[in-house]
Amino acid sequence: MLLLDAIFIGLLEASPLVLAAMGFTLIFYQNGFMNIAYAETITFGAYFAILFNVVLGLHFYMAIVPSMLFSGALSVAVYLAVFRPALNRGVGPTEMIILSVGVSFMLRYGLILAVGPENLFLNEPNISYMQFLGMGATNLQLIALVLVFAIAGILYWIIYNTGLGEQMRGLANNHELAMASGINPHRTSVAIWFVAGCAGGLSGVFSGVFAQVTPYMGWNMILITMLVTIVAGIGSVRGALVAAVVAGILTAFITLVSKPLYSEVILLLAFIGVLTFRGSKAA
Amino acid sequence: MLLHAENLSKSYHAHEVVNIPSVSFGAQGLEGLIGPNGAGKSTLMGLLTRRISPTNGEINLDVGDQVHNLNRLKSHEVARIGLIKTNQRIQGFDSLTIKDSLRFAATSPKDEGFTSIFAGERDSEDVEERVQRYVEAFPFADRNGFARSGGEKKLVDILRCLIAEPRLLLMDEPTAGLPEDITRIVMDMVREKVAAGEMRVVIVEHDLPLIWEYCDYVHFLSEGSILFEGAPEEVKSNRIVAEKYMGV
Amino acid sequence: MDYLIFSFSLMLVYIGLAQLLHIQFGLLGIPNFGVVGFWGIGLYGTGVLFVEFSVPLLPSIILASGMSALLAYVLSVLVLQRSGQAILAATLALAAIVSTLVITEKQLTNGVQGLGTIGFPFGKLDNRNAIFLGILAIVVGSLFWGGARLRDSRLGRSMIAIRDNEELAASLGKDTSATKRMTFAFTCGLMGLLGGLSAPLHQFLVPYLLAPSLTFAVWIALVLGGKAHNFGAMVGVFATFGLFDILVETYAPVPTEYALLVPNFKLFCYGVLLVLIIMFRPTGILGEEGPRVRAKPAPPTLRSAPLEED
Repeated sequence: MLLLDAIFIGLLEASPLVLAAMGFTLIFYQNGFMNIAYAETITFGAYFAILFNVVLGLHFYMAIVPSMLFSGALSVAVYLAVFRPALNRGVGPTEMIILSVGVSFMLRYGLILAVGPENLFLNEPNISYMQFLGMGATNLQLIALVLVFAIAGILYWIIYNTGLGEQMRGLANNHELAMASGINPHRTSVAIWFVAGCAGGLSGVFSGVFAQVTPYMGWNMILITMLVTIVAGIGSVRGALVAAVVAGILTAFITLVSKPLYSEVILLLAFIGVLTFRGSKAA
Repeated sequence: MLLHAENLSKSYHAHEVVNIPSVSFGAQGLEGLIGPNGAGKSTLMGLLTRRISPTNGEINLDVGDQVHNLNRLKSHEVARIGLIKTNQRIQGFDSLTIKDSLRFAATSPKDEGFTSIFAGERDSEDVEERVQRYVEAFPFADRNGFARSGGEKKLVDILRCLIAEPRLLLMDEPTAGLPEDITRIVMDMVREKVAAGEMRVVIVEHDLPLIWEYCDYVHFLSEGSILFEGAPEEVKSNRIVAEKYMGV
Repeated sequence: MDYLIFSFSLMLVYIGLAQLLHIQFGLLGIPNFGVVGFWGIGLYGTGVLFVEFSVPLLPSIILASGMSALLAYVLSVLVLQRSGQAILAATLALAAIVSTLVITEKQLTNGVQGLGTIGFPFGKLDNRNAIFLGILAIVVGSLFWGGARLRDSRLGRSMIAIRDNEELAASLGKDTSATKRMTFAFTCGLMGLLGGLSAPLHQFLVPYLLAPSLTFAVWIALVLGGKAHNFGAMVGVFATFGLFDILVETYAPVPTEYALLVPNFKLFCYGVLLVLIIMFRPTGILGEEGPRVRAKPAPPTLRSAPLEED
């Protein structure tokens, strides 16, 4: 029963992480660097939800889609304004990460200067507590779980079964060959950053509604997202999906058998262990 | 020092690219390795420089009193035993000047420990003098600056290997990307060192006249195996070589 | 006055950390994103030994620095030969582990309640915090002296070669992974030493001190000042911590209703600065510098070199 509990709780907890890991991986796959500012894509998703749901008074479920689209647009804007020029200048992968830290600081503290550091709450839809296979969960959690996995599935389908996905994989594998065969790298990149931004925004909306909306929420998720991405074998969306779910279930399991904080330590140690044995070799 | 392979083979998807019952490099002074395109030269070179791991067989480095299995050694250990290779593709240290790059190669690793930060002089007279000699021998655009063109970088790569004083040097297409006059200076230098008994050299090359002129011994590779070995005249006049290697 | 001495002491710690990061990343190319972790082991190690086990301050600091070096060595064996991104993630994870363990191991660290107090040494003297500032200045000063020596040394040159092209350096007989391991462990040990020296500064240790913001502050300063320049760390910390945390906090007439926004504004500016510097001057304010080796009289050459004109 402990195992079933862990899987269920783990899935519930992992659902925002699954989306974040997929979006983060997409950008990594496309441009070859870890975008720390992806944290702010997540955070801004939740703040866009505040805008639509609390300020403009839309129903929570109605607010999801516009928040997601706005996050996607923000992601594209940041790409066009900062990351694409930097990539064109030939900034190396480690410097790109530092650059993304700068962008992350700019967005996060810009947000705090604009709306204040207070924690905010979304107007949740009516919560009812339900029994499901002998385990308790709220309807919101279940809806989130279904929605997240449905969207993750759509993303997965886009990447592995559509023209865009094919172009993207082509670009990531062999840039010159892909360009020679008529793929427009610019348009594909913009599409990728948009899709990744939508995934991050949605992740933020759900982690916001489960707890609260804070300027630091994305930042708090980014380390685990990064580790999941690296462990998943850098740049495999399929791997990121699996690794995120496994990480969620593992956390839940360790939390159930030990103190919550130890689960984090054990998970981080496990990540370092995985990096030791299968992190990509030094170039 | 001998680089020796026994029953060496490499296959890709059941397609055998290299299959050599027995071969030794480094016994004859200045050796050449030639063969038509697709003969498996670059695969054999990859195996010898450990970029590619063999499907079967092993490569041993025989230093007289001891035999090392090449594939069990780390990269720096191979070099310390005395086997060094030049690179076919341009490699370099972008932040080091030509001279610093050569000084680095000329410096023994045991002189680069923690205590070296307390040393009064960075480089010994001996190192400075050797570096000076190599740099003076070539018309670099800026002898005190960085290697600029691809040709200069390629030349610095070869000079790094020479100044490191290996016992056996593998030269992977040394002429590619170098002007002919520079190639001649390099090859004369190499021949001098070999004649003085300082090192043995194996050259993989497409440029056959160069091989005939400089090499003491030539290995002819075709269809993945060594078909003929011998002095340049013997190889040149060999019927099989002429048959397999059109244009000679 | 006391506050200013504290600020300057803290600034020296930042400068020291950035200088060590200059050696790790600027010279050797190891992206250590766990600076706060190694510093934190020194800090909390010293605190725990001093408060819980009544070890005198100096041995506490030395032991704690040793622990930091040891842990860095273990980590370097595990991940230092992996890609830069993997090293970055692993060091970041290590720092997160350290800060979590400080909260969970309550019997040693007193958890979120905090651990204290660690007083300044030389208890009998009046100006003991000023004397401590002097000690810090000597320690950090010697890091710069060491950095200058390193820049002009054979070891420094081999570090730069390893940063540029590790495989090529190894193919010339250099044991590059040993150089990286030893340098990383040694410099992380020195980060631990700075942590140990920070214990009397903070006096009362709380887990909040181990937040990753310290790592980022040090990185921003170094990148801004010039990661491959011996004085990049110092200039970078002056331009960030010195400007915002000392000059603005002490002297700028900020109305009280905005006072709370100042730290956020500061971090916003850091972000903007970081973006600008990487886009327009990636080598930092000071740029890169080569070794300063005394010019020797050139040995007589066999033939004149017509192209040697500088």
